[in-house]
Formats: sequence, structure tokens, C-alpha cells
Amino acid sequence: MNDNILEIENLHVRFKTFDGLFSAVNNVSLTLGTNESIGIIGESGCGKSTLSFSVMRYLASNASVEGAIRYKGENLLDKTENQMEKYRGNRIAMVFQNPYSSLNPALTIGFQLDEVGMHHQGLSKKKAREATIDALTLMNLGDPKGIARRYPHQVSGGIQQRICIAMSLLCRPDLLILDEPTTALDVTTEAVILDSIKELKDKLNMSLMYISHDMGVINKVAEQVVVMYSGEIVERGPKNLIFENPTHPYTRALINCMPRGGVVKEKTKLNTIPGYVKRRGANEGGCPFIDRCDKRNDTCESKYGMRQIGEKHFAACDRAYATDVPDKLKEKLIPKSREAEQPFDENAELLKVEGLHKIYGTRRKVYAVNGIDFSVHPRSVIGVVGESGCGKSTTGHMVSGLYKPTKGRILFGDTDISIAWNKRSKETLKDIQLIFQNPGRSLNPSHTVEQIIGRAMKKLANMTDAAERRQKIIDILNKVDLGKDYLEKKPRQLSGGEQQRVAIARALSISPNLIVCDEPTSALDVSVQASVLNLLNDLQVDTHAAYMFISHDLNVINYLSDYIMVMYAGKIAEYGKRDEVMEPPYHPYTEALLSAVPEVDPTKQKEPIELLGQLPDPAKKPKGCPFAGRCHRQVGEICEKEYPPMVRFSDSHYYFCHIKP
Amino acid sequence: MKYILYQLKNHPLAIVGIAIIVFWLIMAFFGPSMISFTYTAMDSEHQMAAPGENGHLLGTDSLGRDLLARIIFGSRSILTVALLTSIFSTFVGVVLGFSAGYFGGKADSVFLRAMDILMAIPPLVLSMVILGILGDSNIASLTIIVSIAFVPATARVSRGVLLTEKSQEYVSAARIRGESHLYIMFVEILPNTTGPIIVEATARFAYSIMMVASLGFLGVGMQPPTPDWGMMVIENKPIISQAPWAVLFPALAIASLVIAISIFSDFVSKVLIHER
Repeated sequence: MNDNILEIENLHVRFKTFDGLFSAVNNVSLTLGTNESIGIIGESGCGKSTLSFSVMRYLASNASVEGAIRYKGENLLDKTENQMEKYRGNRIAMVFQNPYSSLNPALTIGFQLDEVGMHHQGLSKKKAREATIDALTLMNLGDPKGIARRYPHQVSGGIQQRICIAMSLLCRPDLLILDEPTTALDVTTEAVILDSIKELKDKLNMSLMYISHDMGVINKVAEQVVVMYSGEIVERGPKNLIFENPTHPYTRALINCMPRGGVVKEKTKLNTIPGYVKRRGANEGGCPFIDRCDKRNDTCESKYGMRQIGEKHFAACDRAYATDVPDKLKEKLIPKSREAEQPFDENAELLKVEGLHKIYGTRRKVYAVNGIDFSVHPRSVIGVVGESGCGKSTTGHMVSGLYKPTKGRILFGDTDISIAWNKRSKETLKDIQLIFQNPGRSLNPSHTVEQIIGRAMKKLANMTDAAERRQKIIDILNKVDLGKDYLEKKPRQLSGGEQQRVAIARALSISPNLIVCDEPTSALDVSVQASVLNLLNDLQVDTHAAYMFISHDLNVINYLSDYIMVMYAGKIAEYGKRDEVMEPPYHPYTEALLSAVPEVDPTKQKEPIELLGQLPDPAKKPKGCPFAGRCHRQVGEICEKEYPPMVRFSDSHYYFCHIKP
Repeated sequence: MKYILYQLKNHPLAIVGIAIIVFWLIMAFFGPSMISFTYTAMDSEHQMAAPGENGHLLGTDSLGRDLLARIIFGSRSILTVALLTSIFSTFVGVVLGFSAGYFGGKADSVFLRAMDILMAIPPLVLSMVILGILGDSNIASLTIIVSIAFVPATARVSRGVLLTEKSQEYVSAARIRGESHLYIMFVEILPNTTGPIIVEATARFAYSIMMVASLGFLGVGMQPPTPDWGMMVIENKPIISQAPWAVLFPALAIASLVIAISIFSDFVSKVLIHER
């Protein structure tokens, strides 16, 4: 017997659906050694999750599985459901993406964890509680006894996920499967969780199977990397080889389309992968990537197959080292085709916000935004960044009129627009447009693309002539790289990227002066994100609209913004021109945020600054510096007591901190 | 369409349900022209005749009236009332439930309490009381009364589905486009709630058949001589030992239709709701 804990051999998973049989996992083979970690990466729809669910034998009833999954030499596919019980949760454990829906909100955390020990190991209630406390201690959760008594909604998302991981560790499994465990979390929390996962792997001698779409995260936790595309493995090998020397065109494209530190809109356009992941029928063979590949030629189909590139390094492409096409990886940056944009007027103000407050609720108050001042210059892009709950979306929604501010003024040109949508003039409604995070939910599923875009034009731009409107809609669809064929389609017939393009087209159709973009790319895959960012950037150059771009992703903000505003707990932490904010001197919070962003380059590993503690309770009126409780550079008692003064570095750059530069 | 056929193939029970409904619809439309008796004609020679005797396919009751004819004519009234009721109560329920859920606040609380009060009275008792006061029941009065009894349930369901849709971002998008409340409720939200609402309406359809039959059984339904399934059951009860079929056939008619519609309603919910 070798020491491989998991061997997957020629695994096929097919689903029978209304549209016929389609293949979700196709001929996948991989091995995972004891105490080894493997990272599985790919866009959504590539079969990553199906692969992990089939290891747990946890597939929908319309799935058919072929091949072998051997756990310590035993084929799990031959086991009955009863026999599987011995493995599931006990020897092989899994952590899911959304901690909030994996925990039962009606039971205390302790009770849910006790159940695991009682069910799988037959422990008594008392012993089970001891095991629970042990597991919670393992995850470095301060006060494990107190946490065990609480309900899931009483702790934050990051702690919930750590509890889920503790739960999976209760039986000390040999194999831990993590399905995008940090995708729903903030970068700062993500950094903490990734660190503890890595530490525990060695401490408990576990093997890890880590699924993610984020190269940076995989880079942090995995030793082996498997790249999946459309249900097949296209490249696998040790992490360093894959990241330093990616061979398969898909791997390269994936690495290249991430906006990484230092990439900015003036100099580069992001790489994109045209098209989207298609579902494959059960009998389709050949290279799955062929229709999106920029290196394909006539021999691709006939020569398709896995081949060895180096020791332990395999790629499923014959043209991996093709010389007749330029190597995109070496010339990472495609210069932007447009001429440099004329600089915007730094003295003019399109939008001016003064002392803006938003308090939700009447009896139990939630202080979402606690007095912020900023302005947006015409034709510029202001990026608003911060963790979830920092008030960045609320600010955007107040500007666009979804909520009425509790206090403070919003001036748009000369008009006071500190009022909600139902009091705003048609002109203002037209001039400020909002693009939502989730395009699937912001487009009415029952309306066609033409109705969706046309309605705004009819309502706000007084275009009553149907034929003229249709022509305009087609023009706009062309601008966002969609065609006339999309007029009659309904949102659910479109992919996520296409949906977001329609949402962008809707916002642009009436030529607004300010577009508030509320996390427009965070629900999208990286390759799609890249193309949407490129599009937003091009359109901004064309239309001269100003953007207020809200995101939690510093790389995205850095790429697109002229100005950056870092928010924390409803306050501005730092504000300035992009380069001023991205370079020292930093506000301690900006510094922590920057350090937490996972790096894709394996040679540039960095130690994240761990933010301990939790966000300040939004139900309490803030006192002192909101960041004081988590700050790694706290200067003393003054931080807790007094709100920090504004420290100015230049006309445009300032932060709020007691630390003098 | 193709999708519906595919689903039908996987749910053979639904085919049975639909077949039974279609059967009763054909009976209601064309049945009267296919039989040779009228529902009032009394065959004094053959009272309590067994099925098949003297051309009475399902036999006769104590007055010698043909049971088949009475069941077929009875299907007309019961189907008409049930169909009108489900349409009417759904319509009123949607309008009330949507307005309450959309505007929220005080109007919503008042609405909820009013519905609670209506729901606290069992629909059957409510209908009986109103019918008892009115005295004279016909298709119109039955429809209105049964609808009133059903409105609280449909209104609550409509309010519920509106609330889930109301938090969707497309509603926010419509708001900051300056759309009117009516437009948002009925052009933006309504099309996305048709699934649950249609399911509720078909379920109401089955309930109203039960209700009309029960009212007939209790003697406050359609007035004689118009045949009514529920009434047939009760009026033939005294002769149940001599002519059990006189009770059995109308009871079977009620049961088959109610069960068929319930199966159909389940199927509709599978197709419409799980499609998304």
C-alpha cells in the first residue's frame, strides 16, 4: 500500500436533465498523499464542486458516476449508504461556502457540534461537549465555552465559518474538503482563516482538498494544484511549477485576467478569455477549451490528451509550448488602445457629500454611516473600499436615492438631493444611475432585454417612439459587446457576464452623469470580471460619466479608480488619489487591508497583518476611533477615547488617525 | 411546452389527474346531450333501480330519477361555482395581499388582523351563516360567499410571495427609475409571482369543490330541483341499505374530482415553481 489517502481514477459524473445527458466531470484522475494539500481551481461550471461532492458520495439523484474513488485503497463508489456513514463527516469532512446556511439557526452552536461527536463516535453528551470545546479551541476561538452557548446569528460570518471548520475537525478526519470556504468573507477574515487551516493541517496530519476560483487563495494553502475546465483536468502539478510556469492556455489566461497589484487602467487593459464555460454533452470529446483558446490550430482536436511536461507536471494540451503564437504571459500587459484620457478637472465638483449620516431602525438603531464628507469630480472614478458592513453600499444607495439620509447633505451640481427617489426630479433620476452587485436579481426575470433597457429610456429620457428606441437599444447592446440577437432574450437565458452587460447597458442608455457601481463584478468569474472591468473603463472614456465604484476588492479598486476612499465602520479612514493611497504613509487599516490581499505570484509571499477582534457593534453610537479595537498600531488610550483628527498629506490625500506622520 | 411533456413523462400520476379533470369537463359540456334522461324525470316503475336496469346506467334514486343524469347536470353547477370561485378569490386575494405587502406599515397590520379574524371563523361555518341569512342560494350567491371565505388564504399567499420579490434588486432599480407603485406591483412583480399564485388558485379550485359539496350536503347549497352532488349524497342517505349506489356514485364523483385537481395542483407547482 502506498501512502496516498485519496486516489481518483477516471472519474465520470453525468447528470440527466431535461436538456439531455450532460457531463459535469469527465475522466478525472488525481492522487492526494497523506498530509498533502491539493488546490482545485477553475471558473464556475467547471465541475470543481461536483468533483468534491462525488468524493462524499453526495450527488443529486439524477447523477450517474463511473470510475473509482479510492480512500486508503477502498473504493467509495462500491459502498452502500450505510457504509458511507462511517466515512462521511467522520474520516472525510467537508466545509461549505456559506457558513450561514450550513449552520442551523434554531440550535445553539454547542448543540450542533455535540451532535457530530455523539453521532459519529458514540460519545456521551458530556464527552461530546469536551470534544466540542477542544475543537473550538483548536480554531483559536477565544472563549469557546461562551461561543458554544450562542446561536449562529449571534456571531459574525468569519467566526461562523471557523465554527464550521471546527465542526469538520471534531472527528479528526484524515481528509478535509473545503469548497470555497472563504469566498463569502472579507479579505481580512480570509487571511486569518487560511492561516489557521494551514497550521491545523500539519498539527492534525490531515490532507486537504481546497476548492476555489481565486488563484491567490490557492497559492496560499495548496501544495499541488489542479486546474479544471469544463469538467476535465487541464493541468496539474506542484504549485510552484503551475504558477511560475503555467503551460496550458487556460491556466495562463486565468492567471492573466486577474487585476493584480500594480495594474492600473491608464497603462493596461486586462486580459480576458472570450466566451464562457459551456455545458458539455455526455458524448462530446476533444479539447473542451478549444473555442475560447487563442492558441488553437488544426491539430488541436486530433492531438488532444494529457501529457507530461516535467516531473509531476501534466497538461492536457499539445500546443502548451507552441512558438508560432506570441506568449501572452511574457507580455502580460496589453497597452490600452485608446489615447490617454484627458485629465479631469480637479476643482469642479459633480457630487458633494457633507456630513452624511444614515441610521437604520427606530428602536434598535444601527449606525451604518456616521458622518462622511467627500466629493466626486466630473469624469473621474472614485473607488470606495472596505469590509462588509462598513457603510460603503449604504453610501452608494443614498447617493442613488434608494435611501434617504438621516442627516447631512448630498449636493449634485447645484441641486440638493438628500431626498429619496420618490421626491427626486426626473432629471436627477436620469443623471444618477445605479449598477447592482447581482445582475441576476437586478434585471426583472420576466422582462426581455429590450423591455429592460427600453423602459428606462421611455420613462426618463422621453423616447416615446418605439422604432427609434429599438435602434438606440441595438446601438447600446453593440457597445457592450452584445448584439441585436439579445433583444428578445430574457435574463435567465444569459450568462452572468451577459446579464451584467445588460445592466450596464440599461444604466448607460440614458447618458447619466454619475454611475454608482455597487460591487458590479464580485458575483462574476475572474475572466468575466476582467472583461466587465475593461468594458466599464472603455465606456467611461467614451461617455465621460463619473463612476462611484464600490468594491471590497482592492485590486479591482486599484485598477479602475482615480481616487480611493477607504471606509471603516461608517467613517472614512483614508481618502486620496489612487497612488497616494496605495503607497505609504498608510492608515493602519489600509495597511492591513493591503497586506491581506492574497498574492498570485508564489515568489512574493507576504505575511498578512492579522486583524484581531471584531467590527465595532453597529448598534452602539461610535466613540473614539472606530478601528481602535482591532488596530495593530494603537498608540494608547487616546485611540479609544477621542475621534482621531484629520491628518493631511496633500490637497487630496488625508487620513484620520492619532499617529502623526 | 416540450418541458411540460417531459415533466408529464416523469409524473404518470399527473396524467391520471388531468385525464379525470378532462373527463369531468367533457361531461359538463357535452354530457347532457349524450344521455337520454333528464335530471328531473321520475321513472316511477324503477325506483331505486340497480345500475344498468332499464337503461339507467348508474341506477336511480328513491324517486326513480336517473343518477347519471343527475351527476352530469350536477357537475355543471359544481364546476362553474368552483372555477368562478378560484378565479374570483385569487383576483381579490392578489389585489389585497399585494397592496398590503407592498405598502407595509399600518395598512399591512390592519390587513393582517382583518384576515386573522376572517380566518378564525371556519370557512364552512362562515358560508353557512351567510347563506342561512340570505336563504336563497344560486350559482352567483354561492360563488360570492365561497370566495369571501377563501380570500384570506389567497391574500396571505400573495402577500408572502410579494414580500420575497419586493426585496429583489430589480424592484429597487424600478424605484430609482421613478416608476409608480401600480407599475412596480403589477408590471414588475406580478409576472414573477405567477407560479405560486397559479398553484394556489388550482388548490383553491379543489377546496371549493369540497366546500360546495359540503354546503350541498348540509342543505344550504344549490336548491332543488337543481341537482347537486353533496345534496345527492344526503338525500339518498335514508336508502343507503337498499340502494348503496345512490350514495356511492355522487360521493365517488366528488372524491375523484377533488383528488384529480389536487394531483394536478401538485404537478403545476412542480412545473412552475421548480422550473426556476
